[in-house]
Amino acid sequence: MFQGMTFEPGSLPEGTEALRQEVRAFLASELDPDVLPNSDFNAGVSAEFSRKLAEHGWIGMTWPKKYGGGERSFLERYVVTEELIAAGAPVGTHWIADRQSGPLLLKFGSEEQRQLFLPKIVSGELFFSIGMSEPDSGSDLASIRTTATKTDGGWLLNGSKIWTSFAHTNHYMVTLVRTQPPSENRHAGMSQIVVDLKDENVEITGIKNLSGESDFNQVFFDDLFVPDNMLLGEEGNGWEQVMSELGYERSGPERFLSAFRVLVEFTREIEENGTDEQLALLGRLSAHLVTLRRMSISVATMLESGKLPLSEAALIKDVGTTFEQLVPEVVRQAANPNASKRFIDTLNECILHAPSFTLRGGTREILKGVIARGLGLR
Amino acid sequence: MNEQQQLIKDTLSRLLTDLCTPQEVDAAENGEWAGNLWQTLNETGLALAGVPETAGGSGGDLEDSLLVLHEAARFSAPVPLAEHFIAGLLLAEQGAVVGDAPTTIAVGDFEIDDALNLSGSAENVAFARWCGEIVLAARGTAGMKLCRIAVAETDLTPGLSVAGEPRDTISVSRQLDAANVFDAGDDIEHRIRLMGAATRSVMMAGALESTLEMSVQYSQERSQFGRSISKFQAIQHQLAVMAGEVAASTLAADCIKESFASLNEVDIAIGKARTGEAVSVCTDLAHGIHGAMGYTLEHSLNHRTRRLWCWRDEYGAEKEWQLLIGQKFVAGGADNLWATITDQS
Repeated sequence: MFQGMTFEPGSLPEGTEALRQEVRAFLASELDPDVLPNSDFNAGVSAEFSRKLAEHGWIGMTWPKKYGGGERSFLERYVVTEELIAAGAPVGTHWIADRQSGPLLLKFGSEEQRQLFLPKIVSGELFFSIGMSEPDSGSDLASIRTTATKTDGGWLLNGSKIWTSFAHTNHYMVTLVRTQPPSENRHAGMSQIVVDLKDENVEITGIKNLSGESDFNQVFFDDLFVPDNMLLGEEGNGWEQVMSELGYERSGPERFLSAFRVLVEFTREIEENGTDEQLALLGRLSAHLVTLRRMSISVATMLESGKLPLSEAALIKDVGTTFEQLVPEVVRQAANPNASKRFIDTLNECILHAPSFTLRGGTREILKGVIARGLGLR
Repeated sequence: MNEQQQLIKDTLSRLLTDLCTPQEVDAAENGEWAGNLWQTLNETGLALAGVPETAGGSGGDLEDSLLVLHEAARFSAPVPLAEHFIAGLLLAEQGAVVGDAPTTIAVGDFEIDDALNLSGSAENVAFARWCGEIVLAARGTAGMKLCRIAVAETDLTPGLSVAGEPRDTISVSRQLDAANVFDAGDDIEHRIRLMGAATRSVMMAGALESTLEMSVQYSQERSQFGRSISKFQAIQHQLAVMAGEVAASTLAADCIKESFASLNEVDIAIGKARTGEAVSVCTDLAHGIHGAMGYTLEHSLNHRTRRLWCWRDEYGAEKEWQLLIGQKFVAGGADNLWATITDQS
């Protein structure tokens, strides 16, 4: 399409089908049929479920064996993740560690850090949070004010992070901090530091989202001491590291499947006596979904070949999350007047979570800026 | 894209840059047949890239032909490449060869009796007035027949699409030679519809890509408030939305190309529905970005957008294909919806 925006054709290798069936069989035996599934990756948490996934080798699948990983392909990981999300499995606990903290440690972490963290992530014992946003820094991430000041044997952190999902239950947070004061180059002087969330000097306050759940938090540091060996990557290289993290964060199936269970329940509603209008709507949304899958598989294929397609990933997230928000809206309008409670509950749960779809991982505006850069406009 | 395909794409792109200028497209809309362009496409073998050599084609694979349509649509080539390709394929199945002059396809209501008297009519026959022959499906007394007939042997009433391209009405009442009547399967009309929808989807993807490129370029050239409008966030965001729709269309069309040989009904339905939906979004944004300039006949944006408005309705608009997908997907049941989706390649 454009030089900075290419979707190379990709397809799932033959062998992934057996893996898919294996995951389906596991989910059929594990998921409680009495719990209404929610395919929003952030909606369900269960450390026990994460540990069971780990037993099957489905956390850290692509990582080197010497850290406990499976050395499997990004496409195999893609298959496992889309099966989990589509089924509405409770993946929130390990999701961030598996998706981005682990790859980040592999790419930039010290050998000591890799040995320390990766095997325990793979075994479902260690869970990570993202430490990027601050009360005054959301989309403008370069304006963060949390500082890490050099001290004997380590760093002293001051400031706070916000919207930190599961900081109250997870173990560590990869935290973006200023190690140098802001200069003309806004992106310079930042670093990433791994913070132990169980440290007694870390204060964590829950924030309720509008659905009443308390999944995210504000995290405070007041002269928090972090030892030298917890600096992740190079001092001053934080911005580049954070950007590379986002390539993994934006292109996966969790960016277009969050509303999938609504589509399933809508299908149940129209199975017997669907009108042509309702069937055509199911067809329309399915056409979007099938196409988004192809885009996401294309990016997984590029990741597999060692590329980091940042604008393509941003584009998938923008198109995908727009779709996720479209689904509950149009399905609601097409629903039968005597719709089942199961349908209405699924729909309402999705509606309550939908505003977050286009906020987490970069707002619509930020993503469109990245796409515009891919088009050569910036 | 393999080497052969890259070669086709590059050759065609060079050739169309020379022979299919905006002036040529305008001339065709003013009633001039682009004979030179057709002759070149035919002689280079590009017009029948994926049709077997024994049937007068170039013997590549079917993906090559669809790639040609994709590229030609980026230039709004005013020639019946899609129809000629479909006619070439259908005739090849019968061991017959398509002629050098373009052949078009008529989709209408035709009957043929045992004495081979063909009667019936069809509207919106693409480029009929400029074609040598027409291929069509007709109901015989003992099953469907595929017929070929010279355009000169039909009554032709000229008509135009919203893109200013010939969409003529033809009517026929004539006895055919046995050599021009073939036994066809009962699904021949459905197969023609699928082939037609496949070609239109691929063409829409090509024209959409070009529409995005034109819009990006125009936004960089046009200056207002002292800077190029591409520097305004509002414009960048509109272009980003277009880019998303175009990427989705291209991938949906690529999938049609890959599975065209088996005429996968759901792939084609998804492609036609998805690209058709992208047309509404992208033509709206492209015209918004181009301002009044893009609303003139002078600027070639209209060559793309008017064809997109035509093609999205041909061989079934979005609703028809969405319904087909919906019916197929609901049949598997709600609890299998995910499996139905992952089974789509």
